Amino acid sequence: MILSIELVTGVSLLYIVFLFMVAYYADKKREAGKSIIANPIVYTLSIAVYHTTWTFYGSVGKAATTGIDFLLIYLGPTLIAFSWWFLLRKIVRIAKENNITSIADFISSRYGKSQWLGAIITVIALLGIMPYIALQLKAVSSTFDILCGYPYVQLPLLHGNFPLSLHTNFFAAIILAVFGVIFGARRLVSSERHEGLVAAVAVESVVKLAAFLSVGIYVTYGLFDGFGDIFSRISSQGKLLDHLTTLGGEGETSYARWFSTLYLAMGAIILLPRQFHVMVIENSNEEHIKKAMWLLPAYMFLINLFVMPIALGGILQTGGILGADFFVLTLPLRNGHSWLTLLAFLGGFSAAAGMVMVESVAISTMILNHLLMPIIVSLNPRPWFPRLLINLKRISIFVVVLLGYLYQTVVGETFMLVNMGLISFAAAAQFGPALIGGLYWRRGNKSGALAGIILGFLFWAYTLLIPSFIMSGWLSKSILDQGPFGIALLKPTELFGLAGFDIWTHSVFWSLLFNVGAYLACSILLDQSDRERDQMRKFVDVFKAKANGVPWETKRMSKPVTIMQFVTLMSKFIGEEQAHTAIAEYLGNREINEQGGVSEFELPKLKRFTEKTLAGSVGAAAAGAIVESYLSDLGTRMEPVYDIFSTVQASLAESREALYVRLRASEIMNRTLDLQIIMDDLLNLVLKEFKLDLAVIRLIDGSGMLRVRSYSGKGIAGITGKDWEPESETYIGEAFLANRIQFVNDTQYIAKPISRELMKREGIKSFAHIPIARKGEQPLGIMSVFSKGIVGLFNEPFLNLLESLAGQLAQAVKIVKEMEEKERERAQKERALLDHARVVNEMEIAKQIQLSLLPSSPPTLPGIAIAGRCQPATHVGGDYYDFFLHGEHGLDLVIADVSGHSVGAALIMAETRSVLRAQASSDKNVDAILATLNELLYDDLTAAELFITMFYVRFNTENRILSYANAGHNPPLVHRDGMTTCTEIDADGLVLGVRREVFFEHRSISLQEGDIVLLYTDGITETQNREGEFFGSARLCDILAANRDRSADEVVEAILREVGTFCGEAPQNDDISMVAFKVLSVPSVDDINESPPQMV
Amino acid sequence: MWLRFWNGLFKRLQLRESWVIFFALGTIMLNYPFVQIFNRTDTVGGIPLLYLYFMGGWVISIFVIYLFTRASSLSGDHQDEGEQR
Repeated sequence: MILSIELVTGVSLLYIVFLFMVAYYADKKREAGKSIIANPIVYTLSIAVYHTTWTFYGSVGKAATTGIDFLLIYLGPTLIAFSWWFLLRKIVRIAKENNITSIADFISSRYGKSQWLGAIITVIALLGIMPYIALQLKAVSSTFDILCGYPYVQLPLLHGNFPLSLHTNFFAAIILAVFGVIFGARRLVSSERHEGLVAAVAVESVVKLAAFLSVGIYVTYGLFDGFGDIFSRISSQGKLLDHLTTLGGEGETSYARWFSTLYLAMGAIILLPRQFHVMVIENSNEEHIKKAMWLLPAYMFLINLFVMPIALGGILQTGGILGADFFVLTLPLRNGHSWLTLLAFLGGFSAAAGMVMVESVAISTMILNHLLMPIIVSLNPRPWFPRLLINLKRISIFVVVLLGYLYQTVVGETFMLVNMGLISFAAAAQFGPALIGGLYWRRGNKSGALAGIILGFLFWAYTLLIPSFIMSGWLSKSILDQGPFGIALLKPTELFGLAGFDIWTHSVFWSLLFNVGAYLACSILLDQSDRERDQMRKFVDVFKAKANGVPWETKRMSKPVTIMQFVTLMSKFIGEEQAHTAIAEYLGNREINEQGGVSEFELPKLKRFTEKTLAGSVGAAAAGAIVESYLSDLGTRMEPVYDIFSTVQASLAESREALYVRLRASEIMNRTLDLQIIMDDLLNLVLKEFKLDLAVIRLIDGSGMLRVRSYSGKGIAGITGKDWEPESETYIGEAFLANRIQFVNDTQYIAKPISRELMKREGIKSFAHIPIARKGEQPLGIMSVFSKGIVGLFNEPFLNLLESLAGQLAQAVKIVKEMEEKERERAQKERALLDHARVVNEMEIAKQIQLSLLPSSPPTLPGIAIAGRCQPATHVGGDYYDFFLHGEHGLDLVIADVSGHSVGAALIMAETRSVLRAQASSDKNVDAILATLNELLYDDLTAAELFITMFYVRFNTENRILSYANAGHNPPLVHRDGMTTCTEIDADGLVLGVRREVFFEHRSISLQEGDIVLLYTDGITETQNREGEFFGSARLCDILAANRDRSADEVVEAILREVGTFCGEAPQNDDISMVAFKVLSVPSVDDINESPPQMV
Repeated sequence: MWLRFWNGLFKRLQLRESWVIFFALGTIMLNYPFVQIFNRTDTVGGIPLLYLYFMGGWVISIFVIYLFTRASSLSGDHQDEGEQR
C-alpha cells in the first residue's frame, strides 16, 4: 500500500506552517518580553534535538541487526548527565558572560580568541557533520519514497534521465535549508539566541516522541501481545534473540566497540555543534539544567522503550532484517494504518528537520564568524555590512545542507543510518580534549589546542572519512586492502598495524590518542600569551572571577577614543538602532565626563563591552579583530599599563609598595612642622619609589599665583622656573580650578597647545597634576610629577596613591599655615601691648612732668590762705593753675584750661606757663598780661588748633582789692562771709588763640575778711552722675557756704570729696582743677603753719 | 526514621564527590567486565536478562539524578561552593 503524494505533501506542508507559526509566536512573545521557551521543559525538549532520524528509524535498524548496542547512544548521555550541574553549568556561565555564539567561538575564545582555532574548528565541524546531514536527507527522502512509492510512479513528467531518488533527495535538502533560513537567519541579532527556532524544535520533539510511542504501542500491543509475547516468539526462532541481546560473542558487538560507542555518545551530547547550540547558547537560565538532567534521560528512555519490540516485531512480520531501518514506517503501512504511518512520517520528518535546522544554523554561524568574518574584518566597515552578513549567513546554511546532500549522493546507500551518524560523533569528539581541558586546566594553551584538534581531525579523516568514501567506491578499494602506495602500515583501517578492532574503535583510539597527546605536549612545552592567560582566567575561574579579580585595568589605550566612535563601529555590524540601545544600556550607570566621554580608565571596559556586543553577532575572535583593526585605524592600540608597583596584586586592594609609600609619607609629615622639609622629603620619596624624572610642588600665594615651593629631580628650567597663574588653558591650572587630577599618559596626544609645546620641548612623555587639597576643600596648590621615559605611567591605583599623598600634604600645609597665622597674630598683639605700655609709660612721665609744672605749694602770704589742686582725667591734661608773688602784698593767681587733653594740650600748657611767668613778673595789669599772652601764643595755638581759657586774678593783701581779667574762662565763685549765696566774678574777654588782637576788660572788687574765692575749671561743674545730671555751680556754692569756716585746704578737699561722691562709679571725663583762697584777718605764724603745702 | 534517612541522604548527595562517585559507578556498571555478569541468554519473565538490566539500570539512574537535583535545589545557596573548592 502507498499513500498519495498529495496527501503526504499536503500534511507535511500544513505541519511546516504550524511549526512556523509556533516559531513566529515565540519570537513575538520574546519581543514582548514574555519568553515562552524560558522553562526547563522546553529546554529539555530542545536538547532532545539529539534524537534525529537516526534514533527514529536507525535505532530500530540497529536493534534488528546488531542488537542491544543501540542503547549506547542514549546511555552515554544519561551517564554524562551526572556531571552537568558542574560541567554544563560552567560552560553555560562562561558562554553567557562572554557572549559566546558557538562551540568554535567557545574554544577559540578560551585559547586567546584565536582566529585560526575558530576557523579550523569550523572546517572540522562542517566536514564532520556532513555525513550526519546526509543521513537526515537520506532518511527523509527514503521515507517519502516508501510512503508514496517512487515519485516517478505518480509524477512521471518530472523525471528525465536523473537517478531515481535525486528529486526527493534534492527537494528534501532545499526544504530543510529553507527551514534553517526561516527559523535561524531571518534577521541578524546581536546575540545568537533564536527563540522561534527553539520553540519549533521543542514542538518537533513532542511530535517525535508521540509518533514513536504510538507506533511502539501499536506494534507491541496491537500487532502482538506485549513485550513477553514478542520476546517469546522471537526466541522460538532459534539463536536470533540470544544474538541480539548479548555482547562480545562471535559476530556480535565487541566490548571494545561497546566502550568506544559509549564514550562517543557521552561526548556527542555536548560537543556536536547543534547540541552545544541548544544546550549552551540557547539556555536561558542555568537552573533549567537541573531539571533537564533527569528529564532528558527520561525522554530518551521513553523513546527507546519500544525500539526493541518494534525491531523484533518487524523481523517477525517481514521475516528478516531487510529494510529494518524503516520498520517504524513500514509496519503500520503494511497493516493498512495510513494515519499512523503518516504520524510516523511526521515524527521522522520532525527529527530530520529539527536536526538540520539547528545544525545548519549553528554551523552557518561558525562559518560566518570564523571563516568569512576574518576576511570581512580586513575590509573597511560599510553601511551595508549588516545586510551582507545576514545574507552570508543564509548562504552558509544552504552550503551546509548541500554539502550533506553531496556526501549522501557520493556515499549513497553503502552505510546504515546509525553508522553514518557515528562518523560525525567521532569528528565532534575531537573538540573534547580542548574543551574540557580549557575548562579546568590552566596550562592548556592555544598551540596545544590547535595541534590536538588538527591532528585528531587528520586521523579521523584518514581512518573514518576516507574509508567511507572507499566503501562507496568513490576511491580505489586498494587503499583499504593494501594501504596507500602499497604501504601496509598506512592502511586506513589498520593504521600502524593496529588490527583486530572495528573501524570506530580504531579511529577513536588513534585520533584521540594524537589529539590528547598533542594537546598535553604542546601545552606543557610552550607558553601562553598574555591574551590567552586573560581568557584562561575568564574560563577556568568563571565562578570566582567576581570575588577577586584584578581591581584595576592593566591595559590602557594609547590614544583616547570617544564613545561615538565605538557606537559607529558597532552600528556597522549590528545596525544603528541596536548599537544605540546597547550603548545606552551600558552607559546607564556610568560616569561621563564633561566632554561627553568616559574616563581613560573606563575606555578598556568600553572596548571590552564593544567586543562582547559584537561577539554576539560575529563571534569573539572576529569581534576582537574588528575592534583591534578599527582602533589601529584610529591610531590607537591597547598597551599594558606600566606596572608602577612592580607586582600586580590580584586580591589585595592595595599593593605592598603603595602601603609602604603611604607609611613613609605619614612619617615625613609627622616628623617636623617645617613645611619646606616636608615638601622636599615627600618629593624625594615619590621620586625614589616611582620611576619619575621630576616632581614639583607649587603652592598658591597671596597674589593667587602658583609658585614653585619645592622640587626634586633633575631641574627643568621650563618647568621648575615657572610660576603659573591658575587658568584653564594649562593642565595645572585646570587641575587647580577644577580641583581634579589632570594627567596625560602620552604627551603625543595632548590637547592643550601651551602644555604640548612645553612637554615637547622638555621631552616629557607623561605627567600628572594633583591638587593639594583636603577632601571637599579648595586646593592649596598643585603637586606635579613628570616622566621622561614612560608612556602610560598613570593608572588608577597610582593616581589614587598620589592623590592621597597630596591630601596628606594639604593637611600639613594647612596646619603649618594655621600655625603661622596664629604666630603672627600673637606677635602683633604683643607689639601692640608693648607699644601701649610704652605710651602709657611716657604718658605717666608726661603727667609727672606736667604736675611738676604746677606749683608744688602755694606761696605763703600774710592775710591770705591759698590751696590749689589738679586732678587730671587722663595721664596728661590741659588744666593749669599758678601763683606769682607780685611785690610784697600782691599775689597773682591764674587758672587756665587748654582745650583737649592731649599731649599737645600739655605742651601748650607748658609753653603758656613759661610765657606767663615771664609776663607775670612785669608790672602790667591783669588785662594787659592776658592781651600780651594772647598775642604771644596766638600763632602756636592756631597751628595746634587749640585754644585756652584763662582767668587771671591779682589780689592785694593790703587793701584787699581783687582785680581780674577773663579770657573766656568760667567765672570764679566768691563767697562773702556771712552770706549764704555766692557771686560770680566775670569780665569781658575772648578765649586765647581765637584772634590776634583781643580786648580784655579789667575789673576789680573789694574783699573782706572771711571771703572765699574759688577759681575752678569746668571739669567740676560738668561732672555728670549716672543719671546724666551735671554737678553745677549751685552745688559748688553750697559746699563753699557749708565750709566757710574751714581753711582753704579743707574747702578744696571737701569739694573733691563731694564731686567724687556725686559722680560715683562713673569715670572722670575731664580734668578737675581749682584754686581757693580765703581772706584772713591777721596774718599769723599759725595760719601759715596750718596750711601746709599741698599736692595732689 | 525515614525522614532522618532522607535528610542524611540529601546532605550526602549535595557533595560534589557523590556526583563523581555515581558517575564512576555508572561507567563501571556499563562496561566490561561488569556487564559480563548479565551477558547471558537467560530470560526473566520472558524478557532477556541483559535488556532488562540496561532498561532497569536506566530507570534507576534517572531516579538517582532526580534525587541529586532535588538535593542540590534544597541547598541552592551552596551551589557555587563545589566549584571553588
